[in-house]
Amino acid sequence: MTSQKQTKPILLFNDECTVCRHIGHWVQRSAQSKSGETSILVQPIGDDPGTLRSLNPDLDIWDAYETIHVLMPDGSMRLGGEAVAETLRNLSNTKWFAWSFATSIFGFRPFQVMLNVAYAILADVRPLFGCESCGKPKVLRPIQWVTNWARNLFAGVPHKSPSPHFSLSSAARRRPLAVSVAPLAQSSHS
Amino acid sequence: MINETLEHPRQTPARHLSRDKIQTVTSTTFTRLVLEAEGPIVVEFMSYGCAHCRAIEPVLEQVAEMVKTQEKIFRVNIAVEQELAGTYQIQGTPSLLMFLDGHEVGRVEGPSPTVSSVLTAVTQPFESGAEAN
Repeated sequence: MTSQKQTKPILLFNDECTVCRHIGHWVQRSAQSKSGETSILVQPIGDDPGTLRSLNPDLDIWDAYETIHVLMPDGSMRLGGEAVAETLRNLSNTKWFAWSFATSIFGFRPFQVMLNVAYAILADVRPLFGCESCGKPKVLRPIQWVTNWARNLFAGVPHKSPSPHFSLSSAARRRPLAVSVAPLAQSSHS
Repeated sequence: MINETLEHPRQTPARHLSRDKIQTVTSTTFTRLVLEAEGPIVVEFMSYGCAHCRAIEPVLEQVAEMVKTQEKIFRVNIAVEQELAGTYQIQGTPSLLMFLDGHEVGRVEGPSPTVSSVLTAVTQPFESGAEAN
């Protein structure tokens, strides 16, 4: 993978997120011309930090899962709304309007700013459409902050989140947070 | 006034790639590094696509630095090591399993991503074990 020089942009997507997976597959289909050539490569982030670093030494797997990345052939990376714009520029059915994202007026790119905001909103609400790996929707956080603040104000004690930070890797039941200590009877050093 | 090209392709900001302080163990190295090792060892069962694992990662690294003279902390990626996850009946991520001389002495599932919470989680089972002895 590393021996070949990268000639096309690579879009990395979170294949554990339903929204991201649908978008990734749509880009993959759209990027393919009738001759079978692709204008942009699409690949899931996967689970191997080493593989990602072989694509770009600055690429961190945690960051890759946090926001959309497009790896450019020149070694640079586009993130978030910039990555979306780069992707749209590479698709035959969207490049006719994707030029607008690069439009700059006195150094200000209004369409790119709008796209950045749109991406930020989509990234926040994607758990609502099915993304177990995305965590709690950020749109709910202000409500949580206000609730905690009110609770602290009236109760006078700092609030501790009752729910553990816990992500189910399968359709398994949620367990309460508890430090369980196994008996040491079988320990060989006793 | 209108420029249709990106003058400066956006570069990735400086990233802290020092996040690999915690060594990853696989099914092939698990026996040697965890089960056959002496002393207290903590194994985090996680996956990179898990938001809660991402939240706890910097905290766990901080805790690993704090307890490095007493304990070793390893990581198991359950997306790759599904057999190990099955063996230890991992129901979700992150799960911290504490081993003392190769035996599981405790586990914590989904600790809050705070230093105090994680520190308690990775030290309490060993203290209980010492008292039991």
